[in-house]
Amino acid sequence: MSRPGIVVLGTPRSGTTLLRRLLDAHPNIACPPETYVLSGAARFLHEETFAQGLKIGALFGLGYAGFEEADVLARLRAFAFGFFEEHAEKAGKQRWAEKTAFDAFHVPAIRRLCAGHVKFVCLHRHGLDVAASIAELVDKTGGFVEELHRYVTRYPQPLEAYARAWVDTATAIEDLAQAESDDALSIRYERLTEDPEAVLREVLAFVDEPWDDGIVERALGSSENVGFGDWKTYARAKVDTRSVQRWKSLPAATQSMLAEVCNPTLRRLGYDAVATEADDEDARRRYELGLLLGRLKKED
Amino acid sequence: MALTRDALVKYLEDKARVDLSDVKDDTELFSSGTIDSFAMVDLLVFLEKHTGTKMGPEDITLDNLDSVGRILAFAAEQAR
Repeated sequence: MSRPGIVVLGTPRSGTTLLRRLLDAHPNIACPPETYVLSGAARFLHEETFAQGLKIGALFGLGYAGFEEADVLARLRAFAFGFFEEHAEKAGKQRWAEKTAFDAFHVPAIRRLCAGHVKFVCLHRHGLDVAASIAELVDKTGGFVEELHRYVTRYPQPLEAYARAWVDTATAIEDLAQAESDDALSIRYERLTEDPEAVLREVLAFVDEPWDDGIVERALGSSENVGFGDWKTYARAKVDTRSVQRWKSLPAATQSMLAEVCNPTLRRLGYDAVATEADDEDARRRYELGLLLGRLKKED
Repeated sequence: MALTRDALVKYLEDKARVDLSDVKDDTELFSSGTIDSFAMVDLLVFLEKHTGTKMGPEDITLDNLDSVGRILAFAAEQAR
């Protein structure tokens, strides 16, 4: 029996492209640029409750047509995994891995499809850093993917919207990691950037692959196999920690607002909670000092 | 507690996302654009909390705030 595939899950802007490059540099593992295959499969599994509690969706519709749920899932799995297997075969590798950052918004369906058939590597990053990084991404790209837009339409403050998206996705990923604990490993972006070799050794041991000397340097030195994914990581030849704790540059009031949203999830994931010390008086004083500083700039 | 140089530089690095490891005491920070207005407002709030004082218009000058050395001297003066 071939070895199970590897599915990387992490909120967008959590270092998933970096991890993809590291995995793809292993001689046994082929991890293509983002394919969106699993989120596509998740959409196939989308279901909703219609009038009077009737559930509708492909599984229910096909169920009425005589197709067993397990059979439908097996066919969908074979269809999705078939692309990964073929890609690995073309790359001359024994095993596939898959990561598409926006899969994080479809975790329950991906779990339904993949659990028991893959190894999950779950990547977490500090929620305030994720929110700040998404803000930067949106600013540069000038728009939202559908999954993020849903949050932006609900929350008028963009950073709060991104923080809410992080809470939901990180929670879904950690729920999966705990429920599938034999087949899931949780790692952190902060450790990955601080000591990529140590974390990669941990990941490779988890998926039963041997360590390969020079894999980190090879991964970062290669400009091949570039596709969808974080454009910034492709421009970097070494891993650094510059993006860790960037949230500290946010104004205190913004930190406090985001802390209210993120702290329970931060604690659950083992991060320190962010202080929520700013209050209305702080915000007012900040504004006053900003006005005074503006006068200084005019005089300068 | 007196504001130390290390604590101030770390605070400015966190707020402004700049590398100040080689900054000199007289390196211009605000007038050179190294520290922007947002980071400077954060610094003012930080200094008020640290010294337990409230700044007035007369305090917010380049003489007091444009370099690590000037900020430390100003903070020490305010804390007296």
